[in-house]
Amino acid sequence: MTQNSDALIANLVGNLQPVKPLSFARGLGYALLAAAISALAVVAAFGIRPDVLAGRFDPVYLIATGLFLVLGIAAAVTVIVMSRPQVGTDHSGWVWAAAMVALLPVAALIVSFGGGSDILSRESIAHGLECLMVGGGASLLVFAILVGWLRKGAPTAPDRAGLLTGIAAGSLGIFAFSLHCADNDIVHIGLWHSGVVLLMAGLGRALVPPMVRW
Amino acid sequence: MKADEASLARLMVMSQKGDKQAYATLLSECQRWLSRYYSRRIAPAQLDDLVQETLMALHNKLVTWDSSRPFLPWMAAIARYRWVDHLRRLYRADECELVTDFAGQDDEPAIAARISIDRLLGMLPDPQARAIELVKIEGLSIAEASQATGQSESLVKVNIHRGLKKLAHMVEKA
Repeated sequence: MTQNSDALIANLVGNLQPVKPLSFARGLGYALLAAAISALAVVAAFGIRPDVLAGRFDPVYLIATGLFLVLGIAAAVTVIVMSRPQVGTDHSGWVWAAAMVALLPVAALIVSFGGGSDILSRESIAHGLECLMVGGGASLLVFAILVGWLRKGAPTAPDRAGLLTGIAAGSLGIFAFSLHCADNDIVHIGLWHSGVVLLMAGLGRALVPPMVRW
Repeated sequence: MKADEASLARLMVMSQKGDKQAYATLLSECQRWLSRYYSRRIAPAQLDDLVQETLMALHNKLVTWDSSRPFLPWMAAIARYRWVDHLRRLYRADECELVTDFAGQDDEPAIAARISIDRLLGMLPDPQARAIELVKIEGLSIAEASQATGQSESLVKVNIHRGLKKLAHMVEKA
């Protein structure tokens, strides 16, 4: 850089345009809207679970789906907070939600090792893969919205922002697909539904940081 | 005269609305603040470049400040992000010589004091802190640092790499 600071300041002042600050409420609104559109798209394309439609709710389904929703919102909130730099901001609240969701695969492994479910049957794997694929697909809109928001912002921890983008998108994506998937088996939910979150978290961690560095 | 938080925040609100006079004053104050902030963290020869780079980052990221939040922590976060990026680039380019004098006057705001490099190095494992100190701060070559520490040359490189990575995580959390 060769020009002196006074010349640079004069140049920057000359280029100043009024700006609309990034608002937390707007960011969260976009993320939730994207999640709602994804959920509606899943329902429109695949239909809604018959028991939910009839107003009957399985407890395992309710708890698991609720946990994914809470983790998705917690991670999305963190991503939006991270888009605005600030010394001293704590970005660790989502960890507790993630720890609670992590109980699902742990429970699934305990139950499956106890012989409670056949996780290796062809039918079980095919159904799991369907959840993984469609849940992953239902994550993409939230993923894109959060990446766009981060690109507008100034995340000072791009790696973590990428990971959390994936976690938020994956959790909200599988929440959307849970409106269709009629399986209440903890093994299926713990392995395959949590797998969507893991898959998207890995993708977010790998793909997002180069896109949001500034 | 050093501008206080309230004045800077007021200038920033006006700048976001497009007031060029307020923006010129704000950037001049930011330039002074950044020069003080970086003067204890990088070699004097690199100071102007890093200050200017940070001013451009502030300009490009004006939208990310929200008037309901304080201004200085926002600027400090951008400053240290650029500083860590600068450290990474230095490491990649292998142009050592980082901080030469930590004994400068201590009149920075409390926020900046929190993330002094001494404190950060003290939080790294000893071999990593020693490798960074010798190569990046004292300007020794990898071979000289290897002799001084008893670590192999490749271990010195690995320790610098890992240490800087941890350093980046720590300043992000400061």
